[in-house]
Amino acid sequence: MTASLENPDDLDARERDALETLLKRLADDEFVLAERYTEWQVRAPSLESDLALSNNAQDELGHARLWYDVLEDLGYEEQDLVYERDPADFRHATLVELPFEEGDWADPILRSYLYDVAEKLRLEALEESTYPKIADRVGKIQSEEEYHLEHAQSWLERLADGDEGHERLQDALDRLFPHALTIFEPVNRDVESDIVDLGLRDATLEEMGEEWLSNVVPYLESLDLDVPESGQMDDDEFEFEVTQEMLPEERGRDGSHTDAWVDLYDEFTHTYRELGRSETTKIMEKPE
Amino acid sequence: MSSNTPDPETDATPCAYTDYREGEGDDDLPATGEDATGLEADVWDALYEIEDPEMPISIVDLGLIYGVSVEDGVATVDMTLTYSGCPARDMLTDQVEEAAAAVEGVEDAELRLVWSPEWTIEMVTERGKDDLREFGLSI
Repeated sequence: MTASLENPDDLDARERDALETLLKRLADDEFVLAERYTEWQVRAPSLESDLALSNNAQDELGHARLWYDVLEDLGYEEQDLVYERDPADFRHATLVELPFEEGDWADPILRSYLYDVAEKLRLEALEESTYPKIADRVGKIQSEEEYHLEHAQSWLERLADGDEGHERLQDALDRLFPHALTIFEPVNRDVESDIVDLGLRDATLEEMGEEWLSNVVPYLESLDLDVPESGQMDDDEFEFEVTQEMLPEERGRDGSHTDAWVDLYDEFTHTYRELGRSETTKIMEKPE
Repeated sequence: MSSNTPDPETDATPCAYTDYREGEGDDDLPATGEDATGLEADVWDALYEIEDPEMPISIVDLGLIYGVSVEDGVATVDMTLTYSGCPARDMLTDQVEEAAAAVEGVEDAELRLVWSPEWTIEMVTERGKDDLREFGLSI
Protein backbone atom coordinates (compact mmCIF):
# COMPACT_ATOMS: atom_id res chain seq x y z
CA MET A 1 0.00 0.00 0.00
CA THR A 2 2.96 2.31 0.06
CA ALA A 3 3.82 2.44 -3.61
CA SER A 4 4.64 5.93 -4.72
CA LEU A 5 1.68 8.02 -5.79
CA GLU A 6 2.93 10.17 -8.58
CA ASN A 7 0.47 11.59 -11.03
CA PRO A 8 -2.48 13.52 -9.57
CA ASP A 9 -4.63 12.34 -12.51
CA ASP A 10 -4.15 8.69 -11.54
CA LEU A 11 -5.42 9.03 -7.99
CA ASP A 12 -8.64 7.29 -7.09
CA ALA A 13 -11.27 9.04 -4.98
CA ARG A 14 -9.96 7.65 -1.69
CA GLU A 15 -6.35 8.63 -2.44
CA ARG A 16 -7.37 12.05 -3.56
CA ASP A 17 -9.47 12.67 -0.49
CA ALA A 18 -6.62 11.59 1.80
CA LEU A 19 -4.12 13.77 -0.04
CA GLU A 20 -6.38 16.82 -0.01
CA THR A 21 -7.19 16.40 3.64
CA LEU A 22 -3.53 16.12 4.62
CA LEU A 23 -2.57 19.14 2.54
CA LYS A 24 -5.36 21.27 3.95
CA ARG A 25 -4.35 20.37 7.49
CA LEU A 26 -0.81 21.49 6.67
CA ALA A 27 -1.52 24.57 4.60
CA ASP A 28 -4.37 25.96 6.66
CA ASP A 29 -2.43 25.71 9.92
CA GLU A 30 0.45 27.66 8.42
CA PHE A 31 -1.70 30.23 6.68
CA VAL A 32 -3.96 31.03 9.62
CA LEU A 33 -1.09 31.14 12.12
CA ALA A 34 0.71 33.60 9.85
CA GLU A 35 -2.43 35.75 9.65
CA ARG A 36 -2.48 35.94 13.43
CA TYR A 37 1.27 36.58 13.81
CA THR A 38 1.04 39.61 11.56
CA GLU A 39 -1.15 41.28 14.18
CA TRP A 40 2.03 41.76 16.21
CA GLN A 41 3.74 43.69 13.46
CA VAL A 42 4.73 47.10 14.83
CA ARG A 43 3.27 46.07 18.20
CA ALA A 44 5.80 43.60 19.56
CA PRO A 45 7.77 44.70 22.66
CA SER A 46 10.95 45.59 20.78
CA LEU A 47 12.05 46.11 17.20
CA GLU A 48 14.04 42.90 17.38
CA SER A 49 11.06 40.83 18.51
CA ASP A 50 8.82 42.61 16.03
CA LEU A 51 11.12 41.63 13.17
CA ALA A 52 11.50 38.11 14.45
CA LEU A 53 7.79 37.41 14.65
CA SER A 54 7.15 39.16 11.32
CA ASN A 55 9.83 36.99 9.80
CA ASN A 56 8.23 33.86 11.26
CA ALA A 57 4.91 34.99 9.80
CA GLN A 58 6.53 35.34 6.39
CA ASP A 59 8.06 31.86 6.73
CA GLU A 60 4.68 30.36 7.57
CA LEU A 61 3.06 32.12 4.61
CA GLY A 62 5.81 30.74 2.38
CA HIS A 63 5.16 27.24 3.71
CA ALA A 64 1.40 27.64 3.29
CA ARG A 65 2.06 28.59 -0.32
CA LEU A 66 4.22 25.48 -0.84
CA TRP A 67 1.38 23.26 0.41
CA TYR A 68 -1.33 25.15 -1.48
CA ASP A 69 0.82 24.72 -4.63
CA VAL A 70 0.43 20.95 -4.28
CA LEU A 71 -3.33 21.36 -3.94
CA GLU A 72 -3.28 23.46 -7.10
CA ASP A 73 -1.91 20.43 -8.96
CA LEU A 74 -5.23 18.76 -8.11
CA GLY A 75 -7.08 21.41 -10.08
CA TYR A 76 -7.68 24.15 -7.52
CA GLU A 77 -6.70 27.75 -7.90
CA GLU A 78 -5.53 30.07 -5.17
CA GLN A 79 -8.90 31.79 -4.86
CA ASP A 80 -10.62 28.41 -4.35
CA LEU A 81 -8.20 27.57 -1.58
CA VAL A 82 -8.10 30.86 0.27
CA TYR A 83 -10.24 33.83 -0.71
CA GLU A 84 -13.41 32.12 -1.93
CA ARG A 85 -13.33 29.02 0.21
CA ASP A 86 -16.13 28.27 2.63
CA PRO A 87 -14.68 29.15 6.05
CA ALA A 88 -16.16 25.90 7.40
CA ASP A 89 -13.98 23.93 4.98
CA PHE A 90 -10.73 25.19 6.55
CA ARG A 91 -9.00 22.37 8.44
CA HIS A 92 -6.63 24.22 10.78
CA ALA A 93 -6.48 23.55 14.50
CA THR A 94 -8.29 26.08 16.70
CA LEU A 95 -4.93 26.91 18.34
CA VAL A 96 -3.92 29.00 15.34
CA GLU A 97 -7.18 30.91 14.89
CA LEU A 98 -7.67 32.26 18.42
CA PRO A 99 -7.12 35.99 18.86
CA PHE A 100 -4.23 36.93 21.12
CA GLU A 101 -4.96 38.25 24.55
CA GLU A 102 -4.47 41.95 23.97
CA GLY A 103 -0.94 43.08 24.67
CA ASP A 104 0.06 39.70 26.06
CA TRP A 105 3.41 38.77 24.54
CA ALA A 106 3.39 35.47 26.44
CA ASP A 107 0.51 34.33 24.24
CA PRO A 108 2.21 34.36 20.81
CA ILE A 109 5.41 33.00 22.34
CA LEU A 110 3.76 30.05 24.06
CA ARG A 111 1.51 29.47 21.09
CA SER A 112 4.40 29.32 18.68
CA TYR A 113 6.23 26.91 20.98
CA LEU A 114 3.25 24.54 21.23
CA TYR A 115 2.73 24.73 17.48
CA ASP A 116 6.35 24.52 16.38
CA VAL A 117 7.05 21.35 18.37
CA ALA A 118 4.04 19.77 16.69
CA GLU A 119 5.16 20.99 13.31
CA LYS A 120 8.63 19.57 13.78
CA LEU A 121 7.19 16.12 14.51
CA ARG A 122 4.75 16.37 11.65
CA LEU A 123 7.48 17.28 9.16
CA GLU A 124 9.60 14.34 10.30
CA ALA A 125 6.62 12.08 9.59
CA LEU A 126 6.41 13.51 6.05
CA GLU A 127 10.07 13.02 5.11
CA GLU A 128 9.34 9.67 3.46
CA SER A 129 5.91 10.54 2.11
CA THR A 130 4.77 8.39 -0.81
CA TYR A 131 3.64 11.57 -2.53
CA PRO A 132 6.89 12.96 -3.99
CA LYS A 133 5.82 16.58 -4.03
CA ILE A 134 5.22 16.40 -0.30
CA ALA A 135 8.52 14.68 0.49
CA ASP A 136 10.41 17.13 -1.75
CA ARG A 137 9.20 20.14 0.21
CA VAL A 138 10.01 18.89 3.69
CA GLY A 139 13.74 19.70 3.75
CA LYS A 140 13.20 23.28 2.62
CA ILE A 141 10.58 23.88 5.27
CA GLN A 142 12.59 22.19 8.02
CA SER A 143 15.60 24.37 7.29
CA GLU A 144 13.43 27.47 7.68
CA GLU A 145 11.63 26.22 10.77
CA GLU A 146 14.66 25.59 12.97
CA TYR A 147 14.78 29.17 14.16
CA HIS A 148 11.16 29.23 15.21
CA LEU A 149 11.58 26.82 18.11
CA GLU A 150 14.82 28.48 19.14
CA HIS A 151 13.07 31.84 19.16
CA ALA A 152 10.09 30.60 21.18
CA GLN A 153 12.23 28.78 23.73
CA SER A 154 14.62 31.63 24.28
CA TRP A 155 11.65 33.92 25.05
CA LEU A 156 9.86 31.32 27.16
CA GLU A 157 12.91 30.96 29.38
CA ARG A 158 13.19 34.70 29.86
CA LEU A 159 9.47 35.16 30.52
CA ALA A 160 9.31 32.28 32.97
CA ASP A 161 12.15 33.81 34.94
CA GLY A 162 10.12 36.77 36.28
CA ASP A 163 6.97 36.75 38.39
CA GLU A 164 4.75 38.64 35.99
CA GLY A 165 5.99 36.77 32.95
CA HIS A 166 5.56 33.46 34.69
CA GLU A 167 2.00 34.30 35.64
CA ARG A 168 1.17 35.38 32.12
CA LEU A 169 2.65 32.18 30.73
CA GLN A 170 0.60 30.08 33.11
CA ASP A 171 -2.58 31.91 32.08
CA ALA A 172 -1.73 31.47 28.42
CA LEU A 173 -1.00 27.79 28.97
CA ASP A 174 -4.33 27.19 30.72
CA ARG A 175 -6.10 28.96 27.89
CA LEU A 176 -4.18 27.53 24.92
CA PHE A 177 -3.40 23.95 25.93
CA PRO A 178 -6.85 22.50 25.11
CA HIS A 179 -6.66 24.19 21.71
CA ALA A 180 -3.16 22.86 21.12
CA LEU A 181 -4.56 19.35 21.57
CA THR A 182 -6.80 19.94 18.53
CA ILE A 183 -3.65 19.83 16.38
CA PHE A 184 -3.95 16.05 16.70
CA GLU A 185 -7.70 15.83 16.18
CA PRO A 186 -8.99 14.03 13.08
CA VAL A 187 -10.80 15.62 10.15
CA ASN A 188 -12.61 12.30 10.20
CA ARG A 189 -11.37 8.91 11.39
CA ASP A 190 -11.51 7.10 8.05
CA VAL A 191 -9.63 9.66 6.04
CA GLU A 192 -7.01 9.95 8.79
CA SER A 193 -6.39 6.18 8.61
CA ASP A 194 -6.11 6.45 4.83
CA ILE A 195 -3.44 9.15 5.14
CA VAL A 196 -1.25 6.72 7.09
CA ASP A 197 -2.24 3.55 5.18
CA LEU A 198 -1.33 5.21 1.90
CA GLY A 199 2.01 6.30 3.33
CA LEU A 200 1.33 9.98 2.77
CA ARG A 201 2.48 10.48 6.36
CA ASP A 202 4.08 7.72 8.35
CA ALA A 203 2.86 8.45 11.86
CA THR A 204 -0.68 8.45 13.21
CA LEU A 205 -2.17 11.44 14.96
CA GLU A 206 -1.99 9.53 18.26
CA GLU A 207 1.69 8.72 17.76
CA MET A 208 2.51 12.33 16.99
CA GLY A 209 0.36 13.50 19.91
CA GLU A 210 2.21 11.21 22.30
CA GLU A 211 5.56 12.36 21.03
CA TRP A 212 4.45 15.96 21.35
CA LEU A 213 3.38 15.47 24.96
CA SER A 214 6.66 13.81 25.81
CA ASN A 215 8.41 16.92 24.48
CA VAL A 216 6.29 19.78 25.72
CA VAL A 217 5.20 18.53 29.15
CA PRO A 218 8.68 18.03 30.68
CA TYR A 219 9.92 21.23 29.09
CA LEU A 220 7.06 23.36 30.38
CA GLU A 221 7.37 21.76 33.79
CA SER A 222 11.06 22.60 33.80
CA LEU A 223 9.90 26.23 33.61
CA ASP A 224 7.75 25.64 36.72
CA LEU A 225 4.55 25.75 34.74
CA ASP A 226 1.60 23.51 35.57
CA VAL A 227 0.49 21.66 32.49
CA PRO A 228 -3.24 20.99 32.35
CA GLU A 229 -4.35 17.37 32.30
CA SER A 230 -2.31 15.75 29.57
CA GLY A 231 -2.51 11.97 29.75
CA GLN A 232 0.85 11.66 31.45
CA MET A 233 1.23 8.15 32.86
CA ASP A 234 4.34 8.60 34.99
CA ASP A 235 7.57 10.53 34.83
CA ASP A 236 8.58 9.80 31.30
CA GLU A 237 5.72 7.90 29.76
CA PHE A 238 2.91 9.56 27.91
CA GLU A 239 -0.23 8.24 26.46
CA PHE A 240 -2.22 10.40 24.15
CA GLU A 241 -5.63 9.72 25.56
CA VAL A 242 -7.49 12.88 24.93
CA THR A 243 -10.92 12.90 26.48
CA GLN A 244 -13.78 15.13 25.43
CA GLU A 245 -13.37 17.10 28.64
CA MET A 246 -9.80 18.03 27.74
CA LEU A 247 -10.79 19.50 24.38
CA PRO A 248 -12.47 22.77 23.54
CA GLU A 249 -15.96 22.67 22.06
CA GLU A 250 -14.69 23.54 18.60
CA ARG A 251 -12.07 21.25 17.10
CA GLY A 252 -11.03 23.13 13.98
CA ARG A 253 -10.01 20.05 12.01
CA ASP A 254 -13.59 18.84 11.63
CA GLY A 255 -14.78 22.22 10.36
CA SER A 256 -16.13 23.48 13.67
CA HIS A 257 -14.44 26.76 14.48
CA THR A 258 -14.60 29.47 17.12
CA ASP A 259 -16.38 32.75 16.37
CA ALA A 260 -12.97 34.38 16.15
CA TRP A 261 -12.32 32.43 12.97
CA VAL A 262 -15.30 33.96 11.20
CA ASP A 263 -14.03 37.43 12.06
CA LEU A 264 -10.51 36.63 10.93
CA TYR A 265 -11.78 35.12 7.68
CA ASP A 266 -13.86 38.23 6.98
CA GLU A 267 -10.81 40.34 7.59
CA PHE A 268 -8.36 38.58 5.29
CA THR A 269 -10.91 38.23 2.48
CA HIS A 270 -12.07 41.82 2.86
CA THR A 271 -9.84 43.41 0.22
CA TYR A 272 -10.50 40.63 -2.26
CA ARG A 273 -14.25 41.14 -1.90
CA GLU A 274 -14.02 44.91 -1.78
CA LEU A 275 -12.18 44.95 -5.10
CA GLY A 276 -14.69 42.54 -6.66
CA ARG A 277 -11.92 40.08 -7.51
CA SER A 278 -12.56 36.72 -9.09
CA GLU A 279 -8.93 35.61 -9.17
CA THR A 280 -5.78 36.34 -7.24
CA THR A 281 -2.96 36.15 -9.73
CA LYS A 282 -2.62 39.85 -10.46
CA ILE A 283 -3.67 42.67 -8.23
CA MET A 284 -3.04 45.21 -10.99
CA GLU A 285 -2.92 45.08 -14.74
CA LYS A 286 0.55 45.19 -16.23
CA PRO A 287 1.55 48.73 -17.22
CA GLU A 288 1.43 49.27 -20.98
CA MET B 1 33.66 61.71 3.70
CA SER B 2 35.73 60.32 6.56
CA SER B 3 37.29 56.96 6.05
CA ASN B 4 35.10 55.23 8.63
CA THR B 5 31.81 56.29 7.08
CA PRO B 6 30.13 53.16 5.80
CA ASP B 7 30.25 52.91 2.07
CA PRO B 8 26.77 52.04 0.87
CA GLU B 9 28.22 50.32 -2.17
CA THR B 10 30.23 47.75 -0.28
CA ASP B 11 28.53 47.58 3.11
CA ALA B 12 25.09 46.74 1.78
CA THR B 13 23.49 43.89 3.62
CA PRO B 14 21.66 41.04 1.97
CA CYS B 15 18.04 40.14 2.43
CA ALA B 16 17.67 39.21 6.07
CA TYR B 17 15.36 36.36 5.17
CA THR B 18 17.89 34.47 3.14
CA ASP B 19 19.76 31.77 4.91
CA TYR B 20 23.47 31.95 4.16
CA ARG B 21 24.61 29.12 6.38
CA GLU B 22 26.70 26.38 4.93
CA GLY B 23 24.74 23.53 3.51
CA GLU B 24 25.27 20.30 1.71
CA GLY B 25 26.05 20.57 -1.95
CA ASP B 26 24.74 18.39 -4.69
CA ASP B 27 27.07 16.76 -7.21
CA ASP B 28 25.06 17.94 -10.21
CA LEU B 29 24.60 21.46 -8.90
CA PRO B 30 25.12 24.28 -9.46
CA ALA B 31 23.96 23.78 -13.01
CA THR B 32 25.29 26.44 -15.35
CA GLY B 33 24.58 25.02 -18.78
CA GLU B 34 28.32 24.76 -19.38
CA ASP B 35 27.93 21.68 -21.57
CA ALA B 36 24.67 22.72 -23.18
CA THR B 37 24.49 23.06 -26.94
CA GLY B 38 22.11 24.55 -29.48
CA LEU B 39 18.84 25.97 -28.22
CA GLU B 40 19.47 24.84 -24.68
CA ALA B 41 22.69 26.85 -24.60
CA ASP B 42 20.75 29.84 -25.93
CA VAL B 43 18.20 29.49 -23.12
CA TRP B 44 21.01 29.33 -20.53
CA ASP B 45 22.47 32.50 -22.04
CA ALA B 46 19.11 34.24 -21.76
CA LEU B 47 18.71 33.16 -18.14
CA TYR B 48 22.20 34.43 -17.32
CA GLU B 49 20.92 37.91 -18.08
CA ILE B 50 18.39 37.80 -15.25
CA GLU B 51 19.59 39.18 -11.94
CA ASP B 52 18.39 38.44 -8.45
CA PRO B 53 16.03 41.25 -7.41
CA GLU B 54 18.08 42.10 -4.33
CA MET B 55 21.68 41.42 -5.24
CA PRO B 56 23.77 42.06 -8.35
CA ILE B 57 24.18 38.42 -9.28
CA SER B 58 22.79 36.38 -12.13
CA ILE B 59 20.16 33.89 -11.03
CA VAL B 60 22.22 31.22 -12.77
CA ASP B 61 25.34 32.04 -10.72
CA LEU B 62 23.16 32.19 -7.62
CA GLY B 63 22.32 28.56 -8.36
CA LEU B 64 18.57 28.93 -8.76
CA ILE B 65 18.38 27.11 -12.09
CA TYR B 66 18.56 23.33 -11.68
CA GLY B 67 18.08 22.36 -15.31
CA VAL B 68 17.05 23.42 -18.81
CA SER B 69 15.78 21.24 -21.59
CA VAL B 70 14.25 22.07 -24.95
CA GLU B 71 12.09 19.59 -26.77
CA ASP B 72 9.91 20.26 -29.80
CA GLY B 73 10.27 23.99 -29.32
CA VAL B 74 9.20 23.88 -25.66
CA ALA B 75 11.77 24.94 -23.10
CA THR B 76 11.41 23.41 -19.64
CA VAL B 77 13.24 25.15 -16.82
CA ASP B 78 13.64 23.64 -13.36
CA MET B 79 14.15 26.38 -10.85
CA THR B 80 14.22 26.87 -7.09
CA LEU B 81 14.16 29.89 -4.80
CA THR B 82 16.43 30.70 -1.89
CA TYR B 83 13.45 31.26 0.40
CA SER B 84 9.97 29.75 0.41
CA GLY B 85 8.42 33.07 1.40
CA CYS B 86 10.13 35.00 -1.39
CA PRO B 87 7.84 37.91 -2.22
CA ALA B 88 9.38 38.21 -5.69
CA ARG B 89 8.40 34.69 -6.69
CA ASP B 90 5.88 35.57 -9.39
CA MET B 91 8.05 38.36 -10.72
CA LEU B 92 11.06 36.07 -11.06
CA THR B 93 9.23 33.10 -12.50
CA ASP B 94 7.48 35.35 -15.03
CA GLN B 95 10.82 36.84 -16.01
CA VAL B 96 12.37 33.40 -16.46
CA GLU B 97 9.47 32.11 -18.54
CA GLU B 98 9.49 35.20 -20.71
CA ALA B 99 13.25 35.11 -21.21
CA ALA B 100 13.20 31.43 -22.15
CA ALA B 101 10.23 31.84 -24.50
CA ALA B 102 11.88 34.83 -26.19
CA VAL B 103 14.84 32.75 -27.39
CA GLU B 104 14.73 32.36 -31.14
CA GLY B 105 13.59 28.85 -31.94
CA VAL B 106 11.74 28.40 -28.65
CA GLU B 107 7.98 28.61 -28.98
CA ASP B 108 6.90 28.13 -25.43
CA ALA B 109 8.45 27.84 -21.99
CA GLU B 110 7.37 25.90 -18.97
CA LEU B 111 8.77 26.56 -15.54
CA ARG B 112 8.80 23.95 -12.80
CA LEU B 113 9.47 25.23 -9.32
CA VAL B 114 11.37 22.57 -7.40
CA TRP B 115 12.35 22.51 -3.73
CA SER B 116 14.61 19.51 -3.57
CA PRO B 117 17.51 19.51 -3.21
CA GLU B 118 17.01 22.66 -1.22
CA TRP B 119 19.09 25.66 -2.19
CA THR B 120 22.15 26.34 -0.05
CA ILE B 121 25.15 28.60 -0.37
CA GLU B 122 27.00 25.64 -1.92
CA MET B 123 24.86 26.10 -5.02
CA VAL B 124 26.47 29.46 -5.84
CA THR B 125 29.09 29.31 -8.57
CA GLU B 126 32.63 30.61 -8.02
CA ARG B 127 31.82 33.60 -10.20
CA GLY B 128 28.65 34.13 -8.18
CA LYS B 129 30.64 34.05 -4.94
CA ASP B 130 32.92 36.75 -6.32
CA ASP B 131 29.88 38.85 -7.23
CA LEU B 132 28.45 38.44 -3.75
CA ARG B 133 31.77 39.30 -2.10
CA GLU B 134 32.00 42.42 -4.19
CA PHE B 135 28.47 43.26 -3.06
CA GLY B 136 29.67 43.07 0.54
CA LEU B 137 28.77 39.58 1.68
CA SER B 138 31.36 37.52 3.47
CA ILE B 139 31.10 34.06 2.03
